[in-house]
Order: sequence, then structure tokens, then C-alpha cells
Amino acid sequence: MKEQERTDAENDQAMKLAPDEDLMLEVRNGAGETLGVLFDRYHTPLYNFYSKLTGDRTLSEDLVQEVFLRILKYRQSYQPGTPFRAWIYQIARNARVDHYRKTPKHITFEPEMAPAVMPKDSAQHSEEAELLHRALMQMPEEKREILILSRFQELRYDEIARLLGCELGTVKTRIHRAIQELRQTFRQLESGMINKDKNSGVTKFVPPRRAGNEV
Amino acid sequence: MKCEQIGELLPDYLQGNLDEEQNEIVELHTAQCADCRDEVTIWKKLGLLPVEQPSAASRARFEAMLHAYQTGRSDRVSARFGRAGRAAGSNFWQWLRTPVGVVAWSAALLVIGIFAGNYFGDRPTHPIANQDEIAAMHTELTNMRQLVVLSMLQQQSASERLQGVSWSQREAHLDPQVMGALLHTLRFDGSVDVRLAALDALSRHAGQPQVHKGVLDALQEQQSPLVQVALIDLLTEWRDPDAAQRLRNFEQTPNLNPTVKQRAEWAVSKLN
Repeated sequence: MKEQERTDAENDQAMKLAPDEDLMLEVRNGAGETLGVLFDRYHTPLYNFYSKLTGDRTLSEDLVQEVFLRILKYRQSYQPGTPFRAWIYQIARNARVDHYRKTPKHITFEPEMAPAVMPKDSAQHSEEAELLHRALMQMPEEKREILILSRFQELRYDEIARLLGCELGTVKTRIHRAIQELRQTFRQLESGMINKDKNSGVTKFVPPRRAGNEV
Repeated sequence: MKCEQIGELLPDYLQGNLDEEQNEIVELHTAQCADCRDEVTIWKKLGLLPVEQPSAASRARFEAMLHAYQTGRSDRVSARFGRAGRAAGSNFWQWLRTPVGVVAWSAALLVIGIFAGNYFGDRPTHPIANQDEIAAMHTELTNMRQLVVLSMLQQQSASERLQGVSWSQREAHLDPQVMGALLHTLRFDGSVDVRLAALDALSRHAGQPQVHKGVLDALQEQQSPLVQVALIDLLTEWRDPDAAQRLRNFEQTPNLNPTVKQRAEWAVSKLN
């Protein structure tokens, strides 16, 4: 009477195409191995959500694992009909909040604020991306989060509103303010960079990575 | 149109939610207004930030977690049975026989008893006496809850034991007996779920030396990588002074799961 007996190659293929919600229901009903498919779909987006939010790769990987562990632990609380994407981002946000509650930020924030890996050939692009990354990291976390959710995680505004528990209009206003702030910071950093460039090659040492801090 | 009004449209413009007419309004404005145009530029530039790839170890870690979880759930059948039992147990009388039911009706009897005593008893009800009674009742209830936790941790079905662990977290102060039971659960419970939950519950009592010792000891005995990793993480979080040495010994354990070994190495480097 085991459900697992059904899983043959054909079913495997069907599983790869099945909507997230159907897969999650299978996980809920005890087919833990189905979670692997959801892991494949979501671990990179979630990793990017965390890494762009915290700038800390090790922490981001830990948090992604935590999210999937929580899904297993709390799978019974998944209600049929709940959009899976909304549910997993809710878990992801909670996992991060809980982490910071346990370990205050000033302790965990030190590791690798490594800049994103950039192809070396497009020098100007990588410089801009580097500046953007820094501008993003300088923003208050709520603003950074809402930008990441809308721009990189490609969540619709109504999804974000539900996730943050606020009105749709509020989300749009906040996004607009966040863009304004990012733009200001970016342009300031950029003009600072140009000035420094004129004086010396200081820019090489700009990445906010602290030597000897790889954990 | 003013920048302010455009600002209201801009987020929808950026996600492509506007109709043709509104789109045109925004584009006309941004063609003339450098500031608003720059906002659009910045949004587009964000696309320069690459999608970062998690390390290859990430998938392996997940597999190990999943595997450990499923192995630990070999008693899943009994757990599920317990759950099914509970669903059918919406039947009130059946519920009264569960540990939670027992505590509920005991508490109800206690309250009835005290009020009846007050009502029928001939001694004058003094406010202070009343307060004492309430305090006594409170202690009584606390003890009863602890009894429930202890009895639930002995249950056959994993889901009931899990419930026992979560009940133990209702008291801010941990009774030594309950703590002992939780530590025992952490070391010997057959289900990974229950062991993890016990560890969660214990992690709130970092101040107690016994808890520290219990967690350190558990590290040597655990076979499940999932619990091992959770233990290592907790020890790192506590910055336990003895942990670094123990972890170094632990790393040498033969046949240690590579993910766990990696985690232990990471912890040692963090603790030093």
C-alpha cells in the first residue's frame, strides 16, 4: 500500500512538470523524496534572496537548508490551495528573522560580504554592478528586501503585499521610495569613485571584504 | 504630469502592468525628466547583478538532511497512526483519556473542588487566604503539566512524544525532572523529529550547566547527521568553552558523514 511504488520513470517525468502545489501536497502526504524536485526549483532563487539581502554566502546557504528542513517539519501545516511560492517565501522570511533573533546581527554580519562574481571581460559593467551591490547593501534592510523581492525574485506586487502583510498601494509606494534611495546612493558612490579614480587606484581595495575573514 | 504622479505609476510601469495609454504617459515624462528617467535606468541596471550559484555542497547537504529525516521517520507508520487516532479522537471521551485530556479534566476538577470548598466550607473567605489558594492552585497546575510532559515523552507514537516536547516549552522554568526527560529524549529517542524537537526545547535553557553537558554528550552518541549538525550549530551558537575540544575529537570519528565533518570543521574554526 505504499505510495512510493507508483514512482517509475514515467512518473518521474510527470513530477518534473507538476505544479509546485501538487508536489508539496505529495510531500505533505509523506512522500519526502518529492521535496528534491522543489529543492531544485527553489534553492537557487532562495539562495539569491538571502545572499543579496545579507551579503553573507555561508549564512545564505545555511538559511536555505533551514527553509527546507522547516518545510519537512511543518509540512502538515501546508494547506491545499495555498500558493506554494508565497508559502515558501513566508518560511524564508521567518527563518531569517529567527536567525537574527538568536544571533544578533553585529556578530553574524562580519563574514564574507563578498561582491558578486563578475565576468572580468566587461570591466565597466562589473564596476557598475559592484557599485550597485554596495549601494544595495547600504540601504536599510526593509527597503533592500522589497527591491530584491520585486526585482530579483520577480514576485508580483500583490504577492509581496500578502507576504509583508500590507496594502498593495503601500508596496508600490515603498518600492518607489526604495528605487529613489538606491539611485541616490548609487550616484553618490559613483561620483566618489570617479574622484578616487583620479587620485589613485584606491578602487581596487574598495570591496567590503575583510581580509582573513573567510569562514 | 508631475514627477509625484509618475512615481505612483512607476512601479507598475517597471513590472509591465500598465495599459498602453498609461505606458505612454510614463514614457513621455521620462523622456523629458532626467530624475525619473534615472530611476528607470537604475531599475534596469539591477539586472547587472548576476544570479549567484550556491555551492555544490548545498545539494549534498540537502540530500543528507532528507535522508536523515526519512531514516528517522522509519517509525512514521506509528506516528501516522497516532495522528489518525487523534483525528478520530474528536470523540470527546477518547480525548479525555489522552494525557492532555487528563490534565484538562484534572484541572477542571481542581477548580470545582476549590470553589465548592469555598462555597460550602464554613470558614470565612479571607482575601489573603484566597490568594494563597490561587497560588497553590497554580503550583498544582504547573506540577500537573510537568507530569503530562513526562508521561507524553513515554508514549509509543512519535507524534505524541513530539507533543510532549512542545508542551515542555510552555513553562519558562524547566523542572529538573522534565529537563532530565528531555535530555534522555535527545539521546535515546528513536525518531529524528522528536530528538530535534527536544534539542530545540533545550536550546532555550542555555544557562543551565546540565543542558550544556547533555548536549555535549549527545554529540558523541548521535548517529543521525541531521541531529549531529543541529548539535554542532547549537554548540557554536552557545560558544561553549568545552565545545572546541570536543568537536575536534568528534571530527576524528571514523565514517563520519562528510557534511557533518565539514560542519564540525567550520564550527571549530568559528569557535577559535
